[in-house]
Amino acid sequence: MTTPVLQIKDLQVAFRAGKKLIPAVRGASLVVYPGQTVAIVGESGSGKSTTAHAIIDLLPGTGVVTGGEILFEGKNVAGAKKGEILALRGSSIGLVPQDPMTNLNPLWRVGAQIKEALVANGVAKGKDADRRVVELLEEAGLPDAERRARQFPHEYSGGMRQRALIAMGLAARPKLLIADEPTSALDVTVQKQILDHLDSLTDELGVAVLLITHDLGLAAERADHLVVMYKGQVVESGPARQILQDPRHPYTQRLVSSAPSLASQRLSSERARVEVREQAVQTAAEIAEEVATHADEFGVGQATVVEAKNLTKDFTLPGGRPGSSSAFRAVDDVSFTLARGTTTAIVGESGSGKSTVARMVLGLLDATSGTVEFDGVDITTLSGKKQQLALRRQMQPVFQNPYASLDPLYSIYRSIEEPLRTHGIGNDKEREARIRDLLDKVSLPAAVMRRYPNELSGGQRQRVAIARALALEPEVVVLDEAVSALDVLVQAQILKLLNDLQGELGLSYLFITHDLAVVRQIADNVLVMQNGGIVESASVSTVFDSPREEYTRRLLDAIPGGSIPLGA
Amino acid sequence: MWWYIGRRALQAIPVVLGATLLIYAMVFLQPGDPIKALFGEKPVNETIRASIAAQYNLDDPFLIQWLKYLGNALTGDFGLTYAQQPVSQVIGDAFPVTLKLAVMALIIESVLGVAAGFYAGLRKGKLFDSTMLIVSLLVIAVPIFVFGFLMQLIFGVKLGWAPITVGGDASIKNLMLPAIVLGLVSFAYILRLTRTSVVENLTADHVRTARAKGLSDRSVNSRHVLRNSMIPVVTYLGADLGTLMAGAIVTEGIFNVPGIGNLAFRAINRGEGSTVVSIVTLMVLIYVVMSLVVDLLYAWLDPRIRYA
Repeated sequence: MTTPVLQIKDLQVAFRAGKKLIPAVRGASLVVYPGQTVAIVGESGSGKSTTAHAIIDLLPGTGVVTGGEILFEGKNVAGAKKGEILALRGSSIGLVPQDPMTNLNPLWRVGAQIKEALVANGVAKGKDADRRVVELLEEAGLPDAERRARQFPHEYSGGMRQRALIAMGLAARPKLLIADEPTSALDVTVQKQILDHLDSLTDELGVAVLLITHDLGLAAERADHLVVMYKGQVVESGPARQILQDPRHPYTQRLVSSAPSLASQRLSSERARVEVREQAVQTAAEIAEEVATHADEFGVGQATVVEAKNLTKDFTLPGGRPGSSSAFRAVDDVSFTLARGTTTAIVGESGSGKSTVARMVLGLLDATSGTVEFDGVDITTLSGKKQQLALRRQMQPVFQNPYASLDPLYSIYRSIEEPLRTHGIGNDKEREARIRDLLDKVSLPAAVMRRYPNELSGGQRQRVAIARALALEPEVVVLDEAVSALDVLVQAQILKLLNDLQGELGLSYLFITHDLAVVRQIADNVLVMQNGGIVESASVSTVFDSPREEYTRRLLDAIPGGSIPLGA
Repeated sequence: MWWYIGRRALQAIPVVLGATLLIYAMVFLQPGDPIKALFGEKPVNETIRASIAAQYNLDDPFLIQWLKYLGNALTGDFGLTYAQQPVSQVIGDAFPVTLKLAVMALIIESVLGVAAGFYAGLRKGKLFDSTMLIVSLLVIAVPIFVFGFLMQLIFGVKLGWAPITVGGDASIKNLMLPAIVLGLVSFAYILRLTRTSVVENLTADHVRTARAKGLSDRSVNSRHVLRNSMIPVVTYLGADLGTLMAGAIVTEGIFNVPGIGNLAFRAINRGEGSTVVSIVTLMVLIYVVMSLVVDLLYAWLDPRIRYA
């Protein structure tokens, strides 16, 4: 039997807080053989990244290995001398880090940063190293590598940066490559290209890969062997397909059933969706009837609640010379309708113009041409603050980053109360009752009211943001990447919550996302956007089962784990 | 790039005009009659008074005085002091001394501040870091003239290492002690700034990636931590040269340095409008130029910034 490249035995890692040690990894074990790809799967806080960083002694801050062994080619490197670890880094163990935006030094040319790795590990020097850098970048799939090597990171796109980081990680031809969420910050189609390339490259070079990811579908597709981590422990490990088709541990079972990349394959998620919609449409119709009979309500109560007609948005970019400028068309002739009680999803990669559409629909950005009608009223013609307030009341946003969209100095109570106060609804007592009710609706305990955003988890914060959006009893909620920043299980919970609320309150959603995988669980109609225009517009089942456009098909193919047959 | 520099130069024009107007107004509103002050205890001679007033345009309305000053300044004539010396000559004598003093202070504070701050940042929470925290707080809290007199007493009077006052011979050796005193407060700020910035950069993702590449601590620190930490420090240093020159007034007083601070102080006391305005305008120009230099340095340090 061959010796494993890496063997971790009962690893314990803790973070020092004052005099106490807070454990982060509690007995993790795994084995990686030469040339094998092993994936560690888990949600944030499960200890998967901590385990990976412990291997090369790069634990952040106060992290320390408190027990267990890390054997690299049979030799224990846990607690090894600084010099020994330094000799391993780069030359024997490479790292491809998570976020391509922050992992390159913005002040140095990309080529120089790769050259550093060559020089530090004694692979090449001077002119030889420069030539090697170009070869490495070419190998990582970067076109025009010679020119690119002389550019700075900010001149690269996210995918290109990640390719540069892969070139860097493989520069000194390590035996083991640790890939820590190498593509989670990238668009799906770019993710697929990069992972395909990484796969073939590591195969060719015979490099073993330890892949860290939160996406079970992706892990199963890319790795031979899966290690599932939960709360610092390995709860299950085995061949990828076996785990996917026959998960043993309850946590793994939950992961398998709710991972969006897998759930998107299931027809059951679409059937569940149909039930929600029927209920929502019925409730919404009742609301519309009420709106139609009350003259003081906003709108006329028609079945189409939002209609965008030929929306176009140009941005002017300043040119290099005084007075010169060029126009950039971010959104090009976009039309769609949102029927009461339904969800329309706008899907596209970054830069496709989907968020710009959302901002125009919300009236936060003026359209260059085209109109947005809310319940039969053109929102661009609204005069006066009062009418605009009335519109805002009916249409509320929830944004992507729950860490940024809540004021850190406002208590949860104050955050949710603010819209009520702005619109002068109720007195203090009534408002408090309303907030309790809202927190209950989003399944948060009332005690959360007195707390501050930094005391809540990402999922809890997003619930607060949803409660705030619902405070004014809007008819339409615009969800701009509202679940994209969340862990899979939390993402599944929030999607379920959104579905429940839609059925109960008859809400209409405009759901903006870059991730087609979640669409099947929440949307009825899908608009696929590319370069500012709509390339395909159809119902969810049509888009998933018989996409007309090549681009849509590419997006679908890029959903990780799509090709793996599932058990049960 | 050249267009950018040109535009910034054009922007300086309204700034300078506004500054001169503002300073002129303040000198004009200063209580007391400067001519009376010139006569001291003696009775005022009305004919002399009238001729002085005519020479310095003292009887004109304020705006006319300002416009006349501006008009003359454009032809290079900044007027005469009350002692009948050309203002340009007086400033020309004093300015190089202050510039030398300020640049010396700038070099001392930046070299020591960056070095100490960098080391403190690397050894966060250790003895050196804590000591530097106390030192910098002390330096910031205690008024500068206290340090001035203290150091004058210790190094000048007791130890005799440096001249007690500078006087006529403003050589680098003689200016050393005043420059250290002048740079003290900024030294403390630069130390704090560098330290904070280093601590922040040490935990940056790209620094971890650099370590993962197999770089030694030494090259990680010099190539990735130090340079990235310099960006906020450079901003501070640029603005600081102006502050040092204007702030030299106290230090120049203590060590009797014949610089621009001393000159300005005397001119303000005498109500010598043209001298005060000329000095202040020069200071404003230095500020404007320095902020442009900082912005260009910025672009050199940080390739993400490009001016168009």
